[in-house]
Amino acid sequence: MTEVGPGDPALELRGLVKEFRGRRVVHALTLAVPRGSLFGLVGPNGAGKTTTLSMATGLLRPDGGTARVLGHDVWADPAAAKAAMGVAPDGMRLFEQLSGRELLLYVGALRRMPVDVTAARAAELLAVLDLAEDASTVVADYSAGMVKKISLAAALIHAPRLLVLDEPFEAVDPVSGQTIRTILRRYVASGGTVVMSSHVMELVEGLCDRVAVIAGGRVLAEDTIGGLTRGGSLHDRFLELVGATDSAGKGLTWLG
Amino acid sequence: MGVVGLIVRLRFAMWRTAMSRSPLHLVSSIVGALAALGVLTLLGPGLVLLAGQPVRITALTVPLFAVITLMWGVLSLIATGVDSILDPARFAVLPLRASELARGLLAATCTGIPALMLAGLALAQTASWLGHPPAVPAALLAGVLGLLTAILFSRAVTSALAAVMTTRAGRVLGAVVVSLVTLLPLGLNLLLTTGSLAADLSSFDATRSATVASWTPVGWAWALPFDVATGRWGAAAVHMALALLLIAVLWVVWVRRLDRTLTSPLTSAGGQRIGHGRLLPAVLGTSPTATVAARRIRAWYRDSRLVGIALRTAVLPVFFVAQAVLTGMPGLAGVGVVTLAVFAGLTLMNDLAFDGPAWWLHVAVGVRGWEDRLGRALASAVVFGPVVLLTYAVSVAIGVIGRPVPWLTVIVVAFLASLGLAVAVGAVLPGTAPRTGGNPFAATSGGAAQGCLTAIVSFVGPVVLTLPVAVVAAVTAGSQPGRWLTLALGTAYGLGLLALGVILGGRRLDRRSPEVLGQLAHAQL
Repeated sequence: MTEVGPGDPALELRGLVKEFRGRRVVHALTLAVPRGSLFGLVGPNGAGKTTTLSMATGLLRPDGGTARVLGHDVWADPAAAKAAMGVAPDGMRLFEQLSGRELLLYVGALRRMPVDVTAARAAELLAVLDLAEDASTVVADYSAGMVKKISLAAALIHAPRLLVLDEPFEAVDPVSGQTIRTILRRYVASGGTVVMSSHVMELVEGLCDRVAVIAGGRVLAEDTIGGLTRGGSLHDRFLELVGATDSAGKGLTWLG
Repeated sequence: MGVVGLIVRLRFAMWRTAMSRSPLHLVSSIVGALAALGVLTLLGPGLVLLAGQPVRITALTVPLFAVITLMWGVLSLIATGVDSILDPARFAVLPLRASELARGLLAATCTGIPALMLAGLALAQTASWLGHPPAVPAALLAGVLGLLTAILFSRAVTSALAAVMTTRAGRVLGAVVVSLVTLLPLGLNLLLTTGSLAADLSSFDATRSATVASWTPVGWAWALPFDVATGRWGAAAVHMALALLLIAVLWVVWVRRLDRTLTSPLTSAGGQRIGHGRLLPAVLGTSPTATVAARRIRAWYRDSRLVGIALRTAVLPVFFVAQAVLTGMPGLAGVGVVTLAVFAGLTLMNDLAFDGPAWWLHVAVGVRGWEDRLGRALASAVVFGPVVLLTYAVSVAIGVIGRPVPWLTVIVVAFLASLGLAVAVGAVLPGTAPRTGGNPFAATSGGAAQGCLTAIVSFVGPVVLTLPVAVVAAVTAGSQPGRWLTLALGTAYGLGLLALGVILGGRRLDRRSPEVLGQLAHAQL
């Protein structure tokens, strides 16, 4: 195991490269997420957010570069890195034949947690995330928002030091969204680190401490929210960074 | 006409894309085309040769095509979803009427390989009536009506069953029914081996069976040339009316179902609640291996895709034993149980594909490869071990297995070797599985829908691995201590193979888990 210093960033990506069928989608991406921060990853569709997060969490092998989680190299020492983080990918299916509670117990057992601890945490997570009533329903019958919530619970159950969430608020209702926000803020306040991707600027602006704008597989800007927006809105700054042109303004006149 | 042409073109476009994107599609399409060609070259000339025969022999076409039509419906249940390219639900957002869509889908089906094969057979059927000129136009008409009946029959049956399949309980029930129906050919085989079939052409008379078949719904259309050739015009008129009526009814049923699909495409299953599942952890423990095993064991009764496979595997031995009893061949039961053991072990081959992309969880958590492999092997042993042993015990008890100990040795080794082979190969070639909740019938066995390589490995592997022990078991069968020693050594050898499979497969998963996950992204058809 590598020596882990307290000063290491929670997540450190260095020169990450990924190619699909010869087309490069992530270009030597470098990013450091300091500990104890709630870090937002924003970018347009197809910017490489999910690809980057997959490479950071050991789900997709990079063609170049390194990813370190709290000092552990994800690809050289995957066991240590994976033990330290909780992951909730977007759009990846879950084991649908299990009920919500069973899924949490399953993850707990795979992570070698004592059964009574897992059971107690699972009950608490299900209650907090308003899933208690559907704890015995198989995940196949969950709605999109419920799937998001149970994925989050599965990522949280072993109290990781780093949480990597891909679009955690998509399809989640406002009440649950507020609950998740509270959970994440408290988690960060107690020293945890969250990396979350989103394309809802208002959400990231109100919730995150730092933000990185990614487009075309490159980091365009990375700063604190205040440093990046400089008084303006993240929305405008984002459009400016990714070079959005008002293409809808000219065309589509037939639509009225 | 516009919609019909559009849908046919859409089908070909999607087909082309699917084939250019995955070699598996290409291979399976080629294999399918070759199989269809094989059936044509096998049956076609035989049918044409019937032309020179008297009516009592040519009448054979009626029962033959009635059975083909029936099998068409049954097989379409198994194959449904294999050609899910044109899933009607995908058209739900477009302003299309059900009848328009039905015409388009029908045309698309008719351009598919199976329908072309059936059309070829129907043409051959027309040729076989060439010896009776008045019957030729009737045979041509029968071919058209019969083709429509077969295709609409399969469409109506699958779409009606799909309605039952929207709930999980319905899917399990449907899987049970369909797996039992697909065992019908085995039952027929059983009947054939018991009864002696007269194949003497000079005394052969198909008139009776043709008459019987002509009065079944699947035989109405095909009876037309037979009626005309025998000069029974009244029967011909009735048959034609009935055939047309059947086509109309099937059409209406199908269009109705399509209409429902278009207006309520989201097949919501509704909350299925399940028990706490405390038994399995209590028995197996809570280690990662045991946890994986417990999940896979639950899947064997919760997952409708697996229920069918489990059921077929469990019912299979009954046929073997019954056949052994009926034919009085002592070796048959033993071979049957060994085959069952191999099948049971090989079900693990595409176990990963049944998890599909959901397997990311194992990767993200960092489950060790050997834990994943051993857990799955354990689950299959718990589910199928008792079935294999019970079949063996029953066979021994009713006296169809002559030498219990040597056979037990071979059975145990075959089971363990197949498990070992499956956990090792399954980590390299995860194979394919039907989609969750999508279609519970497809991919009937571990080797059916997989690539040729997997099929060869699953065929040759168990034989090669088991043969040495079988030889030793046969040699030592004469001596009492030799038999038992072989059983002990054979079991150790089998466990060794399983351990080797778990280690090799586990290592592969440890090293290449992201790549395997990538393979699994396309594993569900």
